[in-house]
Amino acid sequence: MADRPASAVKTMGDLDLRTIILPLVAIVVLIAYFTYINPLFFSSANALNIGRQSAVLLMVALAGTVVILIGSIDLSVGALVTLAGILAALTVDRFGVPGAILTGVGVGALVGLINGSLVTMLRVPSFLVTLGMLSILSGVTNQISQGQSILFMDSLLPDIVNGSVVLGVPNVIWFALIATAVLTVVAFRTKLGRYLYALGGGEIVAAHAGVPVTFYKILAFVLAGAICGLAGVMLTGQVGAGTPTAGGSLLLNSIAAVVMGGTALSGGIGGPHRTFLGVLVIAILTNGMDVTEVNSFTQDIVKGVVIILAVSLTIDRSKYLFIK
Amino acid sequence: MIAQTVAGRPDIPDDPPPAGAPVLELRDISKTYPDARALSGVSFVLRRHQMLGLVGENGAGKSTLLSIINGTVRPDTGSIAINGQAVRFGHPTEAARNGIATVFQEQGLIPTLPVFENIFLGREQKFTIAGGLRRRAMIAEARSVLDELQVDVAPTALTGSLSFGERQLVEIAKAFALGRIYPVEPIILLDEPTSALSDNEAAKLFDGIRRWRARASFVLVSHRLSDVFAACDEVVALKDGQVVDQRPIGSIDETGLHELIVGRQRNDAYYREASQREPASAIVLRAAGLAKPGHLRGVSLALREGEILGVAGVLGSGKSTLARIVAGAEAQSDGDVVVAGARLRRGSRRDAIRHGIGFVPAERTVAGIIGTDTVDWNLTLPNLKQIALGVLGLVSSRRSRALTLEWMQRLKVRAPGPSAACRTLSGGNQQKIVFAKWLARGVRILVLDDPGRGLDVGAKEDIYSLMREIADAGAAVLLVSDNLPELIGLSNRIMVLRDGAVSAVVEAPRDAKPREVDVVSAML
Repeated sequence: MADRPASAVKTMGDLDLRTIILPLVAIVVLIAYFTYINPLFFSSANALNIGRQSAVLLMVALAGTVVILIGSIDLSVGALVTLAGILAALTVDRFGVPGAILTGVGVGALVGLINGSLVTMLRVPSFLVTLGMLSILSGVTNQISQGQSILFMDSLLPDIVNGSVVLGVPNVIWFALIATAVLTVVAFRTKLGRYLYALGGGEIVAAHAGVPVTFYKILAFVLAGAICGLAGVMLTGQVGAGTPTAGGSLLLNSIAAVVMGGTALSGGIGGPHRTFLGVLVIAILTNGMDVTEVNSFTQDIVKGVVIILAVSLTIDRSKYLFIK
Repeated sequence: MIAQTVAGRPDIPDDPPPAGAPVLELRDISKTYPDARALSGVSFVLRRHQMLGLVGENGAGKSTLLSIINGTVRPDTGSIAINGQAVRFGHPTEAARNGIATVFQEQGLIPTLPVFENIFLGREQKFTIAGGLRRRAMIAEARSVLDELQVDVAPTALTGSLSFGERQLVEIAKAFALGRIYPVEPIILLDEPTSALSDNEAAKLFDGIRRWRARASFVLVSHRLSDVFAACDEVVALKDGQVVDQRPIGSIDETGLHELIVGRQRNDAYYREASQREPASAIVLRAAGLAKPGHLRGVSLALREGEILGVAGVLGSGKSTLARIVAGAEAQSDGDVVVAGARLRRGSRRDAIRHGIGFVPAERTVAGIIGTDTVDWNLTLPNLKQIALGVLGLVSSRRSRALTLEWMQRLKVRAPGPSAACRTLSGGNQQKIVFAKWLARGVRILVLDDPGRGLDVGAKEDIYSLMREIADAGAAVLLVSDNLPELIGLSNRIMVLRDGAVSAVVEAPRDAKPREVDVVSAML
């Protein structure tokens, strides 16, 4: 078994198998069902649609995964995407695309730095720190935008995001896929990645092994913030304007995708490759319900049921003394 | 002497009445856990008004026995009788209904509730009226219980605001309150009640208990033999899950009790004593005046090449703290650890690792291994540099597995392979992985905190021979352990800690191993 090629697969026993099979089964079942209702669902055009609709969600879910892997949570991801998007729209005409990206990523990293520092130095639970940050960022966004969309003249940014250079697939999809691949390599093949798993799986063990715990916890938040910042820039390019409501559904959907993919909220299990599957489930579910004309209120109900179901099937109860 | 008495209840006399009929009888109780046999054929009798001492080393089975009596653990075989009636508890509440109450080391009180609510927690039925609670009646009843016991605590005080000693008294009051709800006389199990008390508080507690014995019977588990001699009239000695003796306290002295507690044959082959080497003269680690308030008061030591230095002491003697400080897992407030002329940064595992100190902590599943990670991820956690490749320094899965396989073979780890989840391994194999983590780094110093805890005999044997090999190879080992035969068998020297200071250093050369009694007498 040592001869198996280097792979990103960790064998974790029954639970692990279940968490990887579950999303796969869900994807197959959903595709079959929606195709049965509406044959147009199963087409390359719709596949690209699903990709376009979920590229930014995938980025945000990856950011969430990094933080959830260490056993924390970042509730400010959606609000951060919105703010970064607004700032990108404000800066792109003056500083060009590189300037917009730098602004988005920089602000994202800064917010991550603040989140991570508060969690580790002040020892405030990440749930509360990032809940507060969510509110702060929304406030800042609305102050800046006055609730209005921010338009810009630059056409390069939308072109880069929406154009397609390879295989007729929109670049935004490639960006998200590349981010997934890079983060998967980071997760399994770098010190940072292994430390993230160690922090989530056993912080004391990591500390005893000489891992600088505080540094890597902050780094996880910074990384997540930077990814969200980039996602915000992408979103603005995709829409063609900075919109103050753009990130609204991202938080809930990204957490749902992360958990659905099999990354445990308790940390240490799962990873970016898993989140990719989770996002596919959410994306197919959302798109399929659109295509089969399920009304949006019903969609919310279905999504909620699916999330609870998924968590109840995958959660590792042995890690909790009490379920609260 | 008592300010207030409750109607129908006589004053409590100053001296306990003579022991009466048996209230609690254990017959042939056995309990086996997956890893080890905890109790085999334990029988003893507690009489009315009696205070029975239960003594034994850590791991002798005292805690399991208490858990069986109070209904949290079910015995495999054997029977329990209360007041001559056979009982079988499926749940702690059933034991409580029979008057059994436990005062735990870690207290079972909720700090955010007032005292009276804690006293009647889970037993509020007597005070309910149409679904609501009669708060005033509860307070009055709690006050009368506290007064009866002469415990000077207000029933409405917030439990968390009380001192540890006061909370201990509230725990006991809670046990007595049982008698107000169920028509039973309480049997109170005290688990190390004085471990966190000052001498003064402890004396007060035992003074109270002496009087309360007119209304209850007690079982006392304590490491402090002086407690047992002060408070008990009979003592049961447990050893390796069996009762060695039950006898009146007057018929035995402290030395005799020591011998009862440890009296067993040491098996020298088990500890590879024949291959014990003489340490080299070179000192690899030196510690001077290590102190931490409440834990350690100025401990110094020198660790030589190829030496196994044992550290003995009861729970709370500071031996675990010493291990953690030397390993850099906890910061001392005073004193230094010096390796090769360099003073280590206080409380820095990183610095300690840089100077070649490996650490096998006591809580294996919390601090030793990451259960959700694979064997190779666990083993390579402090060794990522060794398995990194190329300019990007990416970790090589192939090298990670190869390194892991090598050490799995060297330490005879039984696991499906390097990618098995660590939590699926047995305790012994997990412990080998913790060792391998540091051996793969080539550490010169290993700090072991109770490395044999919870392991079965076979796994222990493997770990012991591993320690011999490590010392033979010239590494130095600081071995902290609760297990005396293990310490004596493995160590070149044994340092005994008592109340945070070194109380004795006992030489343990290959052919002149000390007796357990020699070590125990410095511990207690």
